[in-house]
This record gives sequence, structure tokens and C-alpha cells, in this order.
Amino acid sequence: MEPTDTLLNFENVWKIYQMGEVEVPALQGIDVKIKKGDFVAIIGASGSGKSTMMNLIGCLDVPSKGRIFLKGQDISQLSESDLATFRGKTIGFIFQQYNLIPTMSAFENVMLPLEFQEENDSIASKRTREILEFIGLSDKMHYLPSQLSGGQQQRVSIARCLVTDPEIILADEPTGALDSVTGENILKMLEKLWREKDKTIIMVTHDLNLAKYANTTIELKDGEIIRIQDG
Amino acid sequence: MKLSKCLKHALNMMIHSKLRSWLTIIGIVIGVSSVIAIVSIGEGMEQSLNAQIDDLGGDILTITPGFSRSGDKHFRYLPTLSTQATDDETVLDRSDIQALKGIPDIDLIDTQIRGNVDVSYRGETGSLSLTGVDQKVWSKITTEDIRDGRMLDSADQNVILIGASLADNYFDQTLGINKVINIEGSSFRIVGIMDDQSTNVIMPIQMAYQVLDDKEKDIYDSIVVKIRDEENLDVVVEKIEYKLMITRHVTESDRDFTVTSNVQIMEMRSEMMSSVSLFLTAIAAVSLLVGVVGITNTMFTSVLEKTKEIGIMKAIGARNRDILTIFLFNAGLIGLVGGIIGVILGIFISEALPYLMGDLTLASGGTIVSLNVVILALSISVLVGMFAGVIPAYQGSKLKPVDALRYE
Ligand SMILES: Nc1ncnc2c1ncn2[C@@H]1O[C@H](COP(=O)(O)OP(=O)(O)OP(=O)(O)O)[C@@H](O)[C@H]1O
Ligand SMILES: [Mg+2]
Repeated sequence: MEPTDTLLNFENVWKIYQMGEVEVPALQGIDVKIKKGDFVAIIGASGSGKSTMMNLIGCLDVPSKGRIFLKGQDISQLSESDLATFRGKTIGFIFQQYNLIPTMSAFENVMLPLEFQEENDSIASKRTREILEFIGLSDKMHYLPSQLSGGQQQRVSIARCLVTDPEIILADEPTGALDSVTGENILKMLEKLWREKDKTIIMVTHDLNLAKYANTTIELKDGEIIRIQDG
Repeated sequence: MKLSKCLKHALNMMIHSKLRSWLTIIGIVIGVSSVIAIVSIGEGMEQSLNAQIDDLGGDILTITPGFSRSGDKHFRYLPTLSTQATDDETVLDRSDIQALKGIPDIDLIDTQIRGNVDVSYRGETGSLSLTGVDQKVWSKITTEDIRDGRMLDSADQNVILIGASLADNYFDQTLGINKVINIEGSSFRIVGIMDDQSTNVIMPIQMAYQVLDDKEKDIYDSIVVKIRDEENLDVVVEKIEYKLMITRHVTESDRDFTVTSNVQIMEMRSEMMSSVSLFLTAIAAVSLLVGVVGITNTMFTSVLEKTKEIGIMKAIGARNRDILTIFLFNAGLIGLVGGIIGVILGIFISEALPYLMGDLTLASGGTIVSLNVVILALSISVLVGMFAGVIPAYQGSKLKPVDALRYE
């Protein structure tokens, strides 16, 4: 494996939660490399550490021990504001509960990441419109999240994730709140992004059927990787 | 995020904020309206004082019966209070006039009596204050200007001058020149309207003796004199006091009359003004403090309610600074709204105040709400809001993204 190919590198990463007196080790010495252009599914039982790992990949949290390199950059070396900017430009999140801002329309929600990047207004709204069109929601642009169905909300959140053209898409149970048909459609959309737009996708899922869309599967158990399967 | 965008999001946040959070702006509202009232009265006051001092003021002295030894000089300056407090022996009469005529520094001498009378006009009645003046002299001494009509004339009998408020809005119908009104059963014709805000009635003293039947002829409530040279004011005051003490057979210790200059009256007014201002300033300070606490409380609640949104924003690239700015702007906007309501209320208060204060004429110059005051008040309220928002906003901005996202 060429080192330049490596997008994400975990070196002996530990995450230990302190629960009063008790220490809960959620991740125990994770070593893994994820290549650019991979579609990774992280699977495992509830409480095995999947979300914890996603939070670390997304720079939303810091490891208790070990180092994480993203695009060759040790993320513990970045300042808060640089990390936020880096996260905004490099990573797109899709959450199980969509996590749209309830007081903003679909359009405003999708445009928000560009506003944090101080993109100029006309470019930002043009891009937002294109993405909403791509996602098939141009007719619902000015709806509030509460006026959209679950699947539509998830598409808005995918649009929000894509608007910054991130290299990595992180999806923690993106279909967890959707029925199986809608879930399947969301997955097809992710697969299309992976194939046509060359995105790196890391997805947590319970559903082994959905894991089949990925080209690599990482299985966690009690905070440790017990299996990595390619293809 | 650009500041304009932060402002947009802060505004959006404010529009969607809950009604109860608006109650916390009351402190700001009261504070700002007090500020507006203080400053506008102050400015009105200053203008009217300046106008009066410029006009004449300085060469007029008023002699009243009674003398306060309480040490509280405010009482000395309130002639009507002293008059009521005096018994039969301490009155001003012709012998005092004679004594004053012997002082060459005095140019003119006006005698006045004062009382409340029932006035009626076309079926409406009211109780108003009446002043009887020596009309030949009064027109030369008075600080009043005539808005319509003319001054009193030496030949005048059943005629009166009235204040502008009485003319314009005391009765349902406005009173104009040559209208006849009834005072204690006698008819009087209006010959002039004064350019002031009062409801006073001025008439020749001889007529006033007839109208005010508890007044004894040739006994005066006050004597107003005009001196020849304003520069000598203090010397003339001493001369008058010396002479009257001799003719009234009193000494410094049992003195029974008071000499007041217009300058002193104005000083008293501005003293009373400053105590009113002080009071309002205290209200303003306390309410702004209450405002700070209220907005701080609102902001803490709001940060808590928006914890999840803070997490989302951080996940999609918001820096701590962006979150801080949005919440600070939100707090500032809350302050601004409080300020705007406060300014409106403050303008109402300062419009109403001259009427509330009535004849004390503390705010006889009216009140002046200048653009500067409004801008000042609004800036104060925005700053107060932001100040109140600092700690909650800082706390919100420091939330760890993963913890914030987990919050439900
Ligand atoms: N903030 C926290 N404080 C304490 N313990 C935590 C915290 N977050 C996670 N844990 C613990 O860490 C372990 C891993 O949790 P994690 O959320 O990563 O599991 P998961 O694999 O995502 O589970 P699920 O499939 O149910 O979402 C669990 O035992 C959990 O109790
Ligand atoms: Mg999870």
C-alpha cells in the first residue's frame, strides 16, 4: 500500500470513558488504515465502539491514547479553529437522526457549511441549488425539516454533507431511522457518490445487507477490531 | 463565518425564541426609558433656564412674608408654603411698599396676591390658580411673553391673561382672545394668552381682591421688584433686608420675610431637577442591572436549549469563535429590542412628565428628546445585552462537539 494512498491512519488508538470511579474502555488499541476511495462499513454489536470510532475519525472527539492521522496530518497537532475548518472542508457527516437545524429551511440547512467556510454568497447559493437538484429536492427547498418526511430529511442532510465537496463521508447508521426501501435508496445514493464522485465513505451499520455495498468491512467487538474483510 | 452571517443567524434565533424569554427584557425597557426621560428633561430644563436667564431673570427680586429657619432652604423658596404658614402679623402691606420706595436701587414695584378660584366656561368648571398683579408694573417686570393678544393695561378692569395650556386644552373648547369666562361668579374677558405651558389666570390686583374674598385689601402675598442694575443684585438684596428689618421692627433672629431672586429660584429648580435626575438615574442603573441578570438567564437557557444545534454546527465546520459571535449577537439583539421599546416608552414618559409635574414647573421648558439620546440609549442597550451574553455564549462556544451532539 502506497503511503500517499492512505487517507486515514489509526495508530494504537484508545478511548477510555471515565464513569466516576469506573473506567470504560470503548476502544482498545485500534490500528487501521483506510485508503482514499474506500467504502468502509463498520459493523459490530451494540456497545462495541462503532460510534466512538466514528467520532474520532470525524475529529469530533480526541483519543485517550494513540495517534490519528488524517491526510497525513496528526490531528492532535491542530488548533481548535484549524481543526474546525479542516473538518468542515474534508469531512461530511450524515447522522442517524438527520440533525438538521429545525428553524432553518432545507435550503438554509444545506448552505450552512458554506457559510462557515465564508464562501461568497452567489457561489454558495448556486452550489446549494445544484446539490438540492442532484438530491431531487429542488421543489422542497424552502420547507422546514418538520415539513419533510424522514427520507427527505435524510436526503437534505446528505445534500448538506455534499455541498462542501468533502473527501470523506461519515455516516453513522444513516438508515437507522428509515424503512428498508427508503434505506436502500439512501445506500444506492451513497454508492453512486462513491463510484461516480470518488468519495471515501465510512459507514456504521447494523444491517449486514447494507454492509454489502461497501468494499471493506471492519468488525468491532468490545472495542477491538476482530475482522477486516475486503471485497 | 462572516459577521453579517452571524448576525443573520442571531436574528433567526431571536425570531424563533420563546415568548417567556422576552419577559427578561423588561429590565432593559425600564432602564432605557429612564435614561431617555432623564436626559430629555435635563435638556429641556437647560434650554428653559438659559432662555430665562438670558431674557431677564437676573434683575427681579421677590419679597414674601415668612422666613424659614429650618436650614432647609427649599422652603424659603416656596412662597406659597410660607404664606400659608404665617399668622396675621407677618404680612406684607403698604408700609413695606413705602419702605421699598425709599431704596433708590429699585426701579419698579409690583404687588401680587394669589389664590385658587372656581372658573367656569360653557358649563364646564375647574379650580385654577389666580394671580392678581399691579398691572401697570407687572407688564414691565414679568418674564412672561404674550403669545396672542396683549398685556394688561393700567385702565383694565374685568379682563384677564391666561396660560397657554388653559387656553388650548383645559376646556373642551379652546379659549381665544375676547372670550368671556366666569370666575367666582363674575365675568372676565380674555385679552391675552401667555406663551407658556401653564393654566394660570392673571388679573388686575384690584379685581383679584374682589374675587378672592379671603384676601384683605392692601395685604400682599408677594412683592416683586425690578432693580436698576443687575450687577448690584447682592448689594440690593442686603439693602432691602436691612431696610425692611428696621421698618418691620425685626432683627436677624426673628425676621419674618424672605427676599428671593429669580436666579435663586432657578438654582432651586435645577437643584430639584438634579435630585429628580439622580432618582431616575438610580432607577436606570438598577433596571439595567436587572436587565443584565435577565438576559444572562435567558442566554443560559438558550445555550442549553441549543446544545444539540451547537454540536451540529461544530460538526459541519463552525469554530468556537463563530458560535460565540452568533450568541453574542443574539444577546445584543435582545438588548436592542428592549432598547427600542424603552425608547418609545421613554418618549411617552418625557412627554407626559411636564403635565404630571404640573405647576411646580420643574420641566417648564418641556422635554427634548434628541436623536443623540436615542442613539446613546440604543447603544447602551445593545452593549448591556452583549455584556449579559458573554458568559453563556463563551460556555456554549466551548462545548465539545461530541458532547453537544449527544445532548437531547
Ligand atoms: N460519553 C460516554 N461516556 C461513557 N461511556 C460511553 C460514552 N460513550 C460511549 N460509551 C461507552 O463506550 C462503549 C462504546 O459505545 P459506542 O457508542 O461507541 O457503541 P456503538 O458500537 O456505537 O453502539 P450502538 O450500536 O448501540 O450505537 C459503550 O460501552 C458505551 O457505554
Ligand atoms: Mg452507535
